[in-house]
This record gives sequence, structure tokens and C-alpha cells, in this order.
Amino acid sequence: MAIRPILYYPHPTLKTTSAAVAPCDPATQAVAQDLLDTLAASPGVALAAPQIGYALRVIVVDVSRKNGEQGHGLIVLINPVILVLEGPKILREGCLSVPDYTGNVLRHEQAVVEGITLDGRVVTLSTSGFEALAFQHEVDHLNGLLFLDRIQSLSTDLFRRKTSG
Amino acid sequence: MDQFAIVTAFGQDRSGIVALMADSLYQFGCNIEDSCMTRLRGEFTMMLMVRLPQGLDAEALGHRLTASTRSLDLAVLCRALPGQAALRLHMPELPTFMLSVYGADHPGIVAQVARTVAEQGGNITDMNTRVIGSGEVPVYVMVLEIQLPQDRQSDQLRQALEALKPLLGVDLTFRSLDSVTF
Repeated sequence: MAIRPILYYPHPTLKTTSAAVAPCDPATQAVAQDLLDTLAASPGVALAAPQIGYALRVIVVDVSRKNGEQGHGLIVLINPVILVLEGPKILREGCLSVPDYTGNVLRHEQAVVEGITLDGRVVTLSTSGFEALAFQHEVDHLNGLLFLDRIQSLSTDLFRRKTSG
Repeated sequence: MDQFAIVTAFGQDRSGIVALMADSLYQFGCNIEDSCMTRLRGEFTMMLMVRLPQGLDAEALGHRLTASTRSLDLAVLCRALPGQAALRLHMPELPTFMLSVYGADHPGIVAQVARTVAEQGGNITDMNTRVIGSGEVPVYVMVLEIQLPQDRQSDQLRQALEALKPLLGVDLTFRSLDSVTF
């Protein structure tokens, strides 16, 4: 329907907890279509509805837009929930909504994600690698979290001493 | 056009150094832009890029900061920065690598590693070193972030670094930094 501008922080919607939606609601379908159109016109592989101005729990992920990645291809997920995370990993992450900055964040190599498709089916996806990272990042957006909220250290973690254990 | 300065300062680590430095700069009408601060053993060190108010030059700021932070006995150096150097540029995304080097401590490790990186066209964008291990067998650890121009092959730098291992008696790993933008 429309390519929407991708919002930049400090737009307040990016720090808002998004509301659950019904897949059959025409408004949900419209948001999903805007997300698809905007993703297609963007350099990224995933978007969450708050990034285009809707505080609603809808995300799109398509890691096959990146060379060498396949994953599940194009996925639209409504009310997604991460059920399982495994394999902690620190990586350098950035966000289209926070340009020109990256930070070291703790993510997981594997993520099991459950959500509802546009035609109302409940699906459970076992994701790994780049795709798992994308889902974790997008679900964070629905909870008003940016990678800035998860930065582990400003540079390297190597020299951080454990405070216990 | 805005005037900028770089401030570096250091002194024995204690609570309140950042607070006093930041408050002094605020009182003088300076705006802290990008900064980097860390503790090197017992010494707290600061590097700040600041935007100067009208009528205050870098030299005067240095004098005023030295005076205002006297209670903490900080060494303060302040130097004017060309406006061009302070511009926030959109940095092109270059292939970025992490290099860890570690081994028995001896002089020359940093110099040789840095020379090798430079000869291969690499740009060190961040670096930390630390002496660890027991007093009798100190171990030197350095961690570098390196960017390579698009037209440079990382394999050449990798091979040049590998060749340093027997020369310097160190272990090292050179790896691509996983960096993703969503």
C-alpha cells in the first residue's frame, strides 16, 4: 500500500510497548502490507511496525535479502513471542532507526519464535544464526527496546573482570 | 562556525573525577561531544571532544579546567581542533576485523604488530593492551579493531600477521567482526 519513512530515535513510538493485534483486522493487514512495501524499498532484512510509526505487534523478516542467507525466507509474524533462546553470543549490532552507531550486544544463536501468520495460523519457527538475531532484534522493537538498551560494553569485553564467581 | 577542542586529562582514580570535569565544562559553556574515558591501572584517563562557546578558546579553556579541577590534581591538556575534524561524518561501512595478540611480555610487540597492520593498509580504529598473569611470568595481551579498505584482501594481512608469531613469540587470532544492522 505504501512505503513509509523509517522512524529514527527519538521518535516516541520506538520506545513504546506495542499492542497485540488480531490477524483478521483489516488494519493489521494494512500495517503488514506497509511493512512489506517499506522493507522492499529499504537496505535491511527486517522491520517492526513501530519503526514505521505503528505501535502494533507486527514484524517482517526476510534474511534472504542478504547474500548467502536463506532462513525461512519472507516471514510476516503477528504477536510474535520468543519461546526459547540458546547459545549466547556477543555481536556488534546496529539499527536502521539509530543510524551511524553500533554496539556490542548479547544475543543468542538459536531462537524459537511463535506467532500468527497473516492468514491466522499459529506457527512456530526454529531459527538460527543471522535469522535468529533478526527475530530477537525485531521482537525487542515491539517491547520498546533498542540495541542501545542492551549494550554490554563500549568496546571490548575481554578485559572486563568478573565481579563474582 | 562552531569551534571545537580536544581535552585530555588524567589523574589518580577516585570517585568524582567525571562529575567535576563535566560540571566544569558545563559551567564554562562547553558542550561535551564524543568522549572516551577509561582506567589504566590506578590512573583515570579522559579524552573529550568539546564544542567551545563564543569567546572561549582552547588555551583559555585549558587554564580554566586546570584551575577548576585542582582539588583532584588532574593533568589537563587542551588543544583547538579544526572544525572540519569535528564534523560528524557518515562513515562508510568498511570490513572490520578483530585482532587478539598475546604472549610473554617483551618490548616491541605493539610496534611490530602495528607496523605490520599499517604496511598492509589496515587502519587501527580501537586498541587496548593489558599486562596480565603472575608477576614472574607477565603476559602481554593486545586487542585491536582494524578496518581494511574495500580493495584490500584480508588474507594478505592475515598471512603477514601469522608470520609475526614465531618472530615475536606470540599467539594471535585475526577474525572478521560480526556486525549486523537490522
